[in-house]
Amino acid sequence: MLDRKIAFVDLSAESIRTESFPVELRLQYIGGRGMNMFLLSKYYTPSLDPFSPHNPLIFGAGLLTGTLGFGSRVSIASKSPETGHLGDANMGGEFGAELVKAGFSHLVITGRSPQPAYLFIRNGEIEIRSGRALMGLDTVETQQKIRTLLGDDRLQAACIGLAGENRVRYAAIRSGLKSAAARTGMGAVMGSKNLKAIAVRGTLDIRVSDPRRYLNYYQRQLQKLMQSNWVQALGKQGTPLLFAAANAVGFLSVRNNQFTTVGEQGYQLEAEALEPFSNGMVACHACPAHCRHRFVIDAGPYKGTRGEGPEYASIGSLGTKLGNLDLENILSAVELCNRYGLDTISTGSYIAWAMELYQRGILDRQKTGIPLEWGNGTSILKILEMIAHRKGFGDILAEGSFARETLGTSSRDYLLEIKGLPIEMTDERLPKSFALGLATSTRGACHMRSRPSMDALGLPQAFLKKIYGGPVSNRIGSYNGKGRMVWWHELLHAITDALGVCRFQTAFSSPHALQYRQFARLIKLATGLEISSGQLRTIAERIYTLERMMLVGDGISRKDDTLPKRYFEEPIPEGPAKGCVIERKGFDHMLDEYYRLHGWDSNGIPTKRTLNRLRIKI
Amino acid sequence: MRISVNRKKCTGCHLCELVCSLFHLGVINPEKAAIRIQKDDLNTSMNTPLVCRQCKEMKCLEGEAVEEKLEKEQFLWVKARADRCPFDSLSVFGQDAYHCDLCSGHPQCVSVCTSEAIRVKK
Repeated sequence: MLDRKIAFVDLSAESIRTESFPVELRLQYIGGRGMNMFLLSKYYTPSLDPFSPHNPLIFGAGLLTGTLGFGSRVSIASKSPETGHLGDANMGGEFGAELVKAGFSHLVITGRSPQPAYLFIRNGEIEIRSGRALMGLDTVETQQKIRTLLGDDRLQAACIGLAGENRVRYAAIRSGLKSAAARTGMGAVMGSKNLKAIAVRGTLDIRVSDPRRYLNYYQRQLQKLMQSNWVQALGKQGTPLLFAAANAVGFLSVRNNQFTTVGEQGYQLEAEALEPFSNGMVACHACPAHCRHRFVIDAGPYKGTRGEGPEYASIGSLGTKLGNLDLENILSAVELCNRYGLDTISTGSYIAWAMELYQRGILDRQKTGIPLEWGNGTSILKILEMIAHRKGFGDILAEGSFARETLGTSSRDYLLEIKGLPIEMTDERLPKSFALGLATSTRGACHMRSRPSMDALGLPQAFLKKIYGGPVSNRIGSYNGKGRMVWWHELLHAITDALGVCRFQTAFSSPHALQYRQFARLIKLATGLEISSGQLRTIAERIYTLERMMLVGDGISRKDDTLPKRYFEEPIPEGPAKGCVIERKGFDHMLDEYYRLHGWDSNGIPTKRTLNRLRIKI
Repeated sequence: MRISVNRKKCTGCHLCELVCSLFHLGVINPEKAAIRIQKDDLNTSMNTPLVCRQCKEMKCLEGEAVEEKLEKEQFLWVKARADRCPFDSLSVFGQDAYHCDLCSGHPQCVSVCTSEAIRVKK
């Protein structure tokens, strides 16, 4: 397992170099997102243009990817064209495992191919091939065509669609029918390199250090995990199960966060409403939870639409956030995003921004070409097409937050973003820890960086203290201890991504699910590496603080670890969370605690002592 | 005893393939497993597990002077036997075929199939 290689591909020079992955670096960064950050930090400068050939596009399989390791994910990093800062996205499905079976852990892709190209990787070999025949195809057609061209229906590919080809700043990299490394515009970077796809086929053995004990330990952990209510529910309904709860407490983004619930109307988008379209569940590689629906629409205006999912994040982003409660339209919009290779979360968020500008008369039909009214499903599908093709007003919106330059000063406050990445399908004015997590996330507004879901469970305070190692309030509206909570989850999730494990099977959602102790044991039995729980946490700190240091180089500090104006200045106007707002004093209190635990100064800059302790040189 | 399959329930997670090769060979390699998931992953998302049906009449051994009972307990077979299988149920990788020996009565694949797409039938 430790013999997987790192490949350096220069598309300009058409050169490929393969290196071993030194064990010392495994011990410092593990793999996946951790090693991606180490590699990215070697190229990252404040002046690096994300669309420059010098910007690396880095694929990193987790250390446990390809094994029985509770998911099999791959992280993709680069400098983000969407934010201008750190770019990082993470994808399930089959691609990561296939990369590992082909003998590779990481790919570092630089340069720009003079002609459209794709990579073909097979058992230790990498070729650059002409991608001419693939250009203009959607993400599913691209994968089908590659399988036909190479005559192998077990081959896996990560690719871009039209959005990536056209450098829409929030284009995704996609694999299979649904998997997406969607956030921060990694697909646009791939498009800027003239790289349409990476096709992989691997049939190599993955050698395990202690097969018998590993299998026994895995089966014990699996049994334990499958007893959890959360994993059982996820396996039946997928993440859409979260919609009803979010709507009930006033935690949804509705009409660009002007509201936070759709009240009784919410039944139209709850998990149960999806069931008539679902014909079973599907899973990512090596995932026992199987949280994806396979769905098909059999009748009506969207007849013939089929796919996998959708996630609650997509339902919210292309649904309530746009005032859209037509589930079949939402399913079609999600599929269209998948086919074009667009991030559903960012796409929905920029459309929501445009719709609020339209509502306020800052934009009108003359400028947009179509009526951008809340809940207008026809316009939603049309604007998606215009964005992917960069046609008309879609060309402006394809610029994401950079469109503020075109849309003017009056548009600014209505784009809810943090560090250049728009906030998502939810509204965090009620749960304070969730709000802090968005503000501090190293890739811009992102719930997956830390989201301490356990804050919503109201667990006994003594129990929380035991988990988090210090006092934490069990009231979701309290600021006390929430800096600690966010810090703790940021670290756990950094290791999870370095291992390639899926969040849903860790203490992200359930206090009894996997965390450091189980990770350490799985690593030992699978690879032979002795890394203690405590050492794993230090590695997590190293990954997170290295990410922070890249941001610090960009001039980011405490002033940027903040929330949209609406969160501080506009109490939620109605519904169950009515009156909730983020108080500056409480927010600052959380931030102080959070910086102290990370070993960063009061301005959010890692101290010399912390950098020395973590052996970070940048 | 045999493994029964309900393809509608199969999620395509590959865990059955992974534990099969790990249990028998000490390595993880879905190509070297006696159970294989056939996927329609870019279209209908339907998954079909293929595994030996433990036929009473073993067409796979036709023309071979071997004792069926002993062969049934073997995991590693040859490709020629897979070619004779009327159901295409045996996995082939190179010149080897992989045959379900039922893990001495405790099939590992069934123990990790959380959607219960595969079950032991006695």
